[in-house]
Amino acid sequence: MLLLVHVKKELLLLRRDRAGLLVLFVMPMLLVLVLSLIQDNLFRATGGTATRALFVSFDEGALAAELAANLEATGALELVREVAGDKLNVDTARQRVFDGEYQFAIIVPAGFSAAINAAAQAAVEASFRQEAPTQPTGQLTVYFDPTVRGVYRTAVTSALQRGLLGLEIARKSEAFGRLLPLELQRGIQEQLAAYAPAGLQLNMPHLSSDWSGQTLIELSEESAYPDKYTTLPTSVQQNVPAWTLFGMFFIVIPLAGTLIRERQEGTLTRLMTMPVANATLLFGKVFAYLGVCLVQFALMLLVGKCILPILGTPVLELGSAPFALLAVAVSAALAACGYGILVGVLARSYDQASTFGAVSVVLAAAMGGVMVPVYVMPRVMQGLSVISPLGWGLEAFLDIFVRNGNLASVLPRVVTLAAFFLVCMACALLMFRRWRRGL
Amino acid sequence: MIVSAEKNAITTENLVKVYAHADRPALDGLNLNVVRGRIFGLLGPNGAGKTTAISILSTLLQPTAGKATVLGYDVGKQAKAIRCLIGFVPQDIALYPSMTARENLCYFAQVLRIPARRVNERVGECLELVGLTDCADRRVATYSGGMKRRTNLAVGILHEPEILFLDEPTVGIDAQSRNLILERLIELKGAGMTLFYTTHHMEEARQLCDEIAIVDSGRVIAGGTPEQLVGAAADCDNLEELFLSLTGKQVRD
Repeated sequence: MLLLVHVKKELLLLRRDRAGLLVLFVMPMLLVLVLSLIQDNLFRATGGTATRALFVSFDEGALAAELAANLEATGALELVREVAGDKLNVDTARQRVFDGEYQFAIIVPAGFSAAINAAAQAAVEASFRQEAPTQPTGQLTVYFDPTVRGVYRTAVTSALQRGLLGLEIARKSEAFGRLLPLELQRGIQEQLAAYAPAGLQLNMPHLSSDWSGQTLIELSEESAYPDKYTTLPTSVQQNVPAWTLFGMFFIVIPLAGTLIRERQEGTLTRLMTMPVANATLLFGKVFAYLGVCLVQFALMLLVGKCILPILGTPVLELGSAPFALLAVAVSAALAACGYGILVGVLARSYDQASTFGAVSVVLAAAMGGVMVPVYVMPRVMQGLSVISPLGWGLEAFLDIFVRNGNLASVLPRVVTLAAFFLVCMACALLMFRRWRRGL
Repeated sequence: MIVSAEKNAITTENLVKVYAHADRPALDGLNLNVVRGRIFGLLGPNGAGKTTAISILSTLLQPTAGKATVLGYDVGKQAKAIRCLIGFVPQDIALYPSMTARENLCYFAQVLRIPARRVNERVGECLELVGLTDCADRRVATYSGGMKRRTNLAVGILHEPEILFLDEPTVGIDAQSRNLILERLIELKGAGMTLFYTTHHMEEARQLCDEIAIVDSGRVIAGGTPEQLVGAAADCDNLEELFLSLTGKQVRD
């Protein structure tokens, strides 16, 4: 009953602070919206979807078109041949890359087909005659935006190299198929000239070049648990829960702030002279802010479900375990609130609480894989990631959203988050008791 | 009002309080005896130990040594029992500024475990007592200093405590609000409440208190009724002169 009195007071104070409410609900939604959109773009850029690149060809033959088809067949590149109905040339393509509109421009020079055909013929001939390999004669140019990250550039250049290699093998196979009978006939005639009549025509086998594109070893790419991981995660499924947790943990600052403000205003001192238990006071705050956190959570899921798709991202799939989702949300919110109370009890001023609270949440988010996945972190950081409550929450959310997890599969993390909450509250109560006794 | 059988409302014996890292004790053997139903004034310069004493007696601090009882309960061991019997009016305006006076009083009334059916009635009585009925539904943040002080007092008396501790309750307010507060304190005494009061206003103390103790460096250096104290000092015509002669004219911080 008394707990409810404190909860109602906290909610009333929150309701009166309209700017504070705006910060509590709108800022985390903006955070999820903006960061999910940014991360979605990065996800697309680093292999999640095809990269758009300008493709300018001056080739008179068929090989530029074949190269383009090869590149698009890899799925790594989507080639843009004209922009707004205008044909591209080297200067305009280069300018668009320079302006940052596109990150790559592939320029196929005039005579590209002829140069490859001639080079393939020369290479095979040199091989038959055991001469030194010919030097490359053709050239393909790629302009790239210098701000493009290395891994992104590597992905595009390796797709290009793969496309060119396919083209070269095909041309060399054709040249080989064409030259092999001629070379065989020439060799036989040279060696049997003394025995065979002049002008003898031998029936030489013809070699098809189809084998050049034939795959000998198939690369099987499968999820480690195909039954469990029925779909691959989209950027939204990774980003929305990650940034939602990040936003929820920022409750630490206003929650710690209420304790510090009460201490500074003297209301806490007044309450200390009244027959009120420490736990009732602190849990009153926890339950009020738990409600705030859950509303924040619902709003942020709404962003993932309704607003982000309008802006071009995939829809957030919530999995099929609503009770598990609720359990994770409640336990994560409790962990955030418990931590907020602990920070509020330990900090001597609002500045201390806001700085320490914010920095510690950012650190926990970074360690827990909110900003970059844990598997790309250095080994030391991967080891440290297991101590981040945001990491526990994120893993549990991903389990539900991506791996079709259920209550049983997320239970260990729910329990860990709840234990974190209890430890924070126990420490906070201990410190608060000391403070109340003037020690 | 809860009534206990103790004759003395407050007793302290050789009360000592030493704060961590302090070079001298805040209280250094304080001895007080406050009789029930009286207004007791604790006077002293800044840093004399008045707020420390009132904090220990209202269960906000633990003494380092010595003994203090409130209505027969030991402040160190029976703080919970004491909290049900006392009211506290701190020096700060200990209210929620974004809540109205009525909301503040209702909240504290429920914390003080006033029965739900009595809350509205009691809140109305207290607002009436401090002359705030007409503006009870305005946020405290919009109040003048005097109105805030009066609300501060109203919270302290919500549950009709046996002892009311007041730490400089008239600091920084106009003469009208001060007069109203003092009148109400006399009315509360008339209703049988014991008041333990600290102030810097000598005239206010003379006007209000049945008994006074002047403290300095954590000890009582003079005690008695205002008349006894002034009468016993040959060179002093009033309480202020006595106070300055006992505590010196050097400025304290």
